[in-house]
Amino acid sequence: MSISSVISRKLREQQPFVTGLVVVAALWQLSTFFLPPIITPPLQDIAVATWHIFTRQNELLQLITTGARVLIAMVVSFVVGAALGIAMGTFDKLREYVKPQLHFIQGIPSVSWVVFAAIWFVHVEMRIGFILFIVTMPAFALYIDGAVRSVNLDLVQLSQAFRATKFQRFRMVIVPGIVPEMLSAWVVNMGSAVRVAMVAELIGSNIGVGFQLLNAQAVFDMAGAVAWTLSLVMLLSVFQMAIKFLENRLLAWRPQAEQA
Amino acid sequence: MSTSEEAPVEFQNVSKLFRQKNGQPFYANRNLSFRVRQGEVVAIVGETGCGKSTSFQMLLGLLRPDEGQVRVLGYNPFNQHSGLLGAVGIVFQNDRLLPWRTAADNVAFGLEVLRVPTAERLAIAHTWLDRVGLKGFEHAYPHELSGGMRQRVSIARAFAIGPKVLYADEAFTALDELTAARIRNELLALVKETRITTLFITHSVPEAVDVAQRILVFGRPGKVVREINRDGALAQGKSVRAIEEMVREGLAAAHAPAVAEVGAADLCGGIGAARAATNLVADPPQRLG
Repeated sequence: MSISSVISRKLREQQPFVTGLVVVAALWQLSTFFLPPIITPPLQDIAVATWHIFTRQNELLQLITTGARVLIAMVVSFVVGAALGIAMGTFDKLREYVKPQLHFIQGIPSVSWVVFAAIWFVHVEMRIGFILFIVTMPAFALYIDGAVRSVNLDLVQLSQAFRATKFQRFRMVIVPGIVPEMLSAWVVNMGSAVRVAMVAELIGSNIGVGFQLLNAQAVFDMAGAVAWTLSLVMLLSVFQMAIKFLENRLLAWRPQAEQA
Repeated sequence: MSTSEEAPVEFQNVSKLFRQKNGQPFYANRNLSFRVRQGEVVAIVGETGCGKSTSFQMLLGLLRPDEGQVRVLGYNPFNQHSGLLGAVGIVFQNDRLLPWRTAADNVAFGLEVLRVPTAERLAIAHTWLDRVGLKGFEHAYPHELSGGMRQRVSIARAFAIGPKVLYADEAFTALDELTAARIRNELLALVKETRITTLFITHSVPEAVDVAQRILVFGRPGKVVREINRDGALAQGKSVRAIEEMVREGLAAAHAPAVAEVGAADLCGGIGAARAATNLVADPPQRLG
């Protein structure tokens, strides 16, 4: 398949999204004739503000800081959540005790965690890290618990029949068997982590996209607020593309239809 | 010569009891005794639910007998795992290939368990894939192979470890008749060539007579009710059809009294189905631990 045919296929796939985006942009631009810039700033103002975010060091640092916070917290959440999920999937008794607690934690609104963190922690990074961890870790643990429990028992028995050690069974059967669910957990958690990071940064941070959104609100800079929001969406898209890339690499063994 | 060398596979008065939720017991196997001699090819034949699969699981060490002893190469397969490491090749009913591994990596699975270095185990895997007619498919994933090809990979996986004993549990049931016959012949050729002690478990009478020197007819509850020496019968001038008829007679005789013996417990559908249907309590195969 040639590069041009791949590009044209990708463009065809994206056509509905691009069309929708163009329509929304056109409506937005149309509204600027009737509404003041504080409500709907012209697209060119938003484009300039967005350009500045990606080209000015100070602005870019804000975006990178938020991205780094999300990424580090997600990695820590994943490590803890995966360990807990594997333990829960392996030991029924542990699962009986831990699973309800995780569901309980998931039921607490993220804003409550923001308040708790503000009271419990003095250090800003600790606050944000804690909030992101507590919001995303249970999902990792529950996804991976489910994945471990649904590993094909035939394959587990195969490894037992071949006299594999417990560690070999874990490495050769369990881990590869739960990779698809691990990646799904990353996709789901990434979106909520970025949203929660915004809320966390709105309160008590002096750097990051959330803080910049707060600044934009303080000076009624609507173009800036939209630009920061767009840059955040782009950051999330980059993360999701990275996960997609990993998925394509790690799950190359799956039939094409299943991958889709 | 020790007993294990004379009879690599041995069941001595083995009973396996399952308990239903209401406490009612039933035996999947009761006083099961048989031996498979060195280099012998034996088929266990019986109707669905007569304890074949339970016996198979006990052979693999996945289920512990409640009474009696199972010995494979002189070892208890449930307790002495390391003693049997690399000694038993298994061909399952469904191929049980790891979907994330290529054909070569699947064949190398048992070798990896044995900690054979990567280059060496891949070389062995390639050789065995060649032997089963899958040269050129080393890098194919299971979903890219047909059912017959996948079963060939699983046969290669069983032989790649250089086992002393081979088990084949309904190995051709999932295949169409023509493919099953072809792969059965290929497997038999390998068995003859390697002179490996082999235990076939099947519910197909023609298959049992085709593959085995000796046929053990299982009746309920999971015991040998008739033993037919195929080679002896052939030497006496009996036709294959006549031997098949002998096996069928054995099966028919085995079936009737078993129903009365086990009472209301429905043993049909295999032990897996029976356990699922009645929530039977037994030693489940461990998940991870």
